[in-house]
Amino acid sequence: MIGDVIVRSLRQADRVIPIEELLGNCDGSRMPDIVADRLTPAIAEKIAGVCPTAALASDEFAGRLCLRLSYGRCVGCGRCIDVGESAVVPAKRFAWSGVAKDQTVRCWDASGRGELTPPAPAPEEARAEIHSMLQRALNVRELDAGSCNGCETEITALTNPYYDLERFGIHFVASPKHADMLLVTGPVTRNMADAVKATYEAVPAPKLVVAVGACGCSAGIFRGSHAIIGAVDDVIPVDGYIPGCPPTPAMLVTGMLEVLRRRVAR
Amino acid sequence: MSALMSLIPNRSEAGAAFLIPQTKEGVPARLVMIFGSLGAGGERRVHYVFDTGESRYSEIVLPAEAPVHSISPQVPAAAWYEREICDQYGILIANHPDLRPLLLHDNWPSAVHPMVDPVAAVPWSKREYRFLEVRGEGIAEVAVGPVHAGIIEPGHFRFSVVGDTILHLELRHFYTHKGTEKLFEGKPAADGAMLAESVSGDNSFAHAVCYSQAVESALDIEAPPRAAALRLIGLELERLACHISDVGGLCTDVGFSVPAAYATGLKETLLQASARCCGTRYWRGIAVPGGLRFDLDSGRVAALAEATAQIHREFSEIAQLVVETPSIQNRFETAGVLRREVAQDLAVVGPVARASGVNIDVRRDHPYGGYPSYSIDIPVTHYGDVMARARIRIAEAAVSAGLIQEAANSLPGGSILAPIALEAEGLGFSAVESPRGELCYWLELRPGRLTRCHVKSPSFQNWPAMPFAVAGNIIADFPLVNKSFNLSYSGCDR
Repeated sequence: MIGDVIVRSLRQADRVIPIEELLGNCDGSRMPDIVADRLTPAIAEKIAGVCPTAALASDEFAGRLCLRLSYGRCVGCGRCIDVGESAVVPAKRFAWSGVAKDQTVRCWDASGRGELTPPAPAPEEARAEIHSMLQRALNVRELDAGSCNGCETEITALTNPYYDLERFGIHFVASPKHADMLLVTGPVTRNMADAVKATYEAVPAPKLVVAVGACGCSAGIFRGSHAIIGAVDDVIPVDGYIPGCPPTPAMLVTGMLEVLRRRVAR
Repeated sequence: MSALMSLIPNRSEAGAAFLIPQTKEGVPARLVMIFGSLGAGGERRVHYVFDTGESRYSEIVLPAEAPVHSISPQVPAAAWYEREICDQYGILIANHPDLRPLLLHDNWPSAVHPMVDPVAAVPWSKREYRFLEVRGEGIAEVAVGPVHAGIIEPGHFRFSVVGDTILHLELRHFYTHKGTEKLFEGKPAADGAMLAESVSGDNSFAHAVCYSQAVESALDIEAPPRAAALRLIGLELERLACHISDVGGLCTDVGFSVPAAYATGLKETLLQASARCCGTRYWRGIAVPGGLRFDLDSGRVAALAEATAQIHREFSEIAQLVVETPSIQNRFETAGVLRREVAQDLAVVGPVARASGVNIDVRRDHPYGGYPSYSIDIPVTHYGDVMARARIRIAEAAVSAGLIQEAANSLPGGSILAPIALEAEGLGFSAVESPRGELCYWLELRPGRLTRCHVKSPSFQNWPAMPFAVAGNIIADFPLVNKSFNLSYSGCDR
């Protein structure tokens, strides 16, 4: 009966994950990381060769051979880890969530002399700012521009008792007219292009747009299809990028807060 | 043991109708799918696949350069397939009751058919799509979508209502159409699996396994026993996660938020247990043609099985209390009834079919992978309402949890990957019982690369049945009925 259901549910242990453990966490995401000093030109070339979405590229930059990793394109297939002779490992922490587009690309010297791109902002340092910023609620409207539903499943998970997004004052709203932020997933399909533009127009200014997932950031595995227009920023302006295929709930929380932090810092 | 196909030789002349195959009992066989392909000389063909009740599926291939007779008047389940091949290949279908475009919306020029025509820089065009109009006193139209109010995929619903009562619902989908079948073409066999797992993101493992089995059938090899057993665990885990989520979603849609939150918590516990076992929450990047990309540690699999048993225990207790709650019974019972005759006419599959008295399940009827070693209990009920679909899912979750335990307790050792010949050629087919029902991949390899890959998703098959379940209900019950079907938009649209 209804009372039994409620009593049983309320007897559950508290499952909520503290914010410290969420920020920068990427367990289960399959995102790769590079061990800079183990990198050789041969490995760089080999891992770039097996990448199905050209997220990895080995090329000349400022007169030396480099390895570039574009997280926005990475679908986490793990082939680079398979052939990378321990120079590529699963990422333990992930700080490239919610950043600007140029920051989603990392670059290393291919001969093991270290990373050439500056480190991403450490999510932990933003805590105080985030809390001061979220004194007022953030209304988010999720928009599927053609996604496979993988990102939706993870975004839905944000409301479960582990992540409980409402504790930050963030909640999902039914209408773009009520929203401060659009969370856009999927490559934008030709069939959805008009609806995506109309939804963007319906959000009152000032508005934030976040491209979610490999498809939202770069069209991912669907790049080159005749039935899509491209990534989200091929259709509407984007403020922040959350990589992953799909990004885990922790990466989504980290990314949404990072987009806000950058907005306030601006 | 993959479900290989036997090809029935085509004795039909071009343009002639063929006889619909029959089962042993003399009733028309169930339509599995229809799709187009190109022959070696570029000539268009239509493939019809039927389930005649034998363990192997049967296929009929017709030339399609001349118009093909529609089978929709005899087999209503064929209607969307015939519209699809008309869009994709420009194959002309004679006597089809409704040949409006399906996959390609108003901005696509009607003369361009992407599977046969060049698709670089297709100009934007404007053509009119006419919805069916219901006329009469007091009839109003309610248009919903493509962008919906929740965190849901896009699709358009056009209701014709009298007061609160739905007279007619017309679906307009394919907003998430990504041209996936065309994208498969030209890919090496090994690369197709990661595209397959992005066809329907919450059934990604079923898609990856089905694709992999289809390649294995083309090459006439089998995944090693350990790989087959681990695939079985992953498939059942995916089913369990989906069913827990669906029962929770049904509670959400009637405002019973406490068990809904409980169910989302249980599903998350399951996903985290998966991530600890294999590094991914949805078993992405694991299944590949030939077996698995990497082995899973037996100790971790045992820990996952133990966590699964605990999660299922909690789920079954809360789910039992939910279906015994009178206010839930009041909302679920008699809502959204799908009659058995309609389910059969539209060749509905999966839990939706089994809730309407159609006793089909690929795992038992066309066993594949690790399933032949198990006798699987297939729950069936005949009420066809929201409650029946909820109860079927609760019962299936128990079967899945049991299978995971059994498979984890008797995990074979040995290799996890059978070698794949890079330059192999052949035709491959596979069917898998995904959480939403029968999922099929048909593919053609010509020296190591895919030249055609058709995906039959259970959602494409089941969506046309939803309007029949909705008619006569009030519009406020639509989200509940829709959730009880739980169909994928991306899987349908591809």
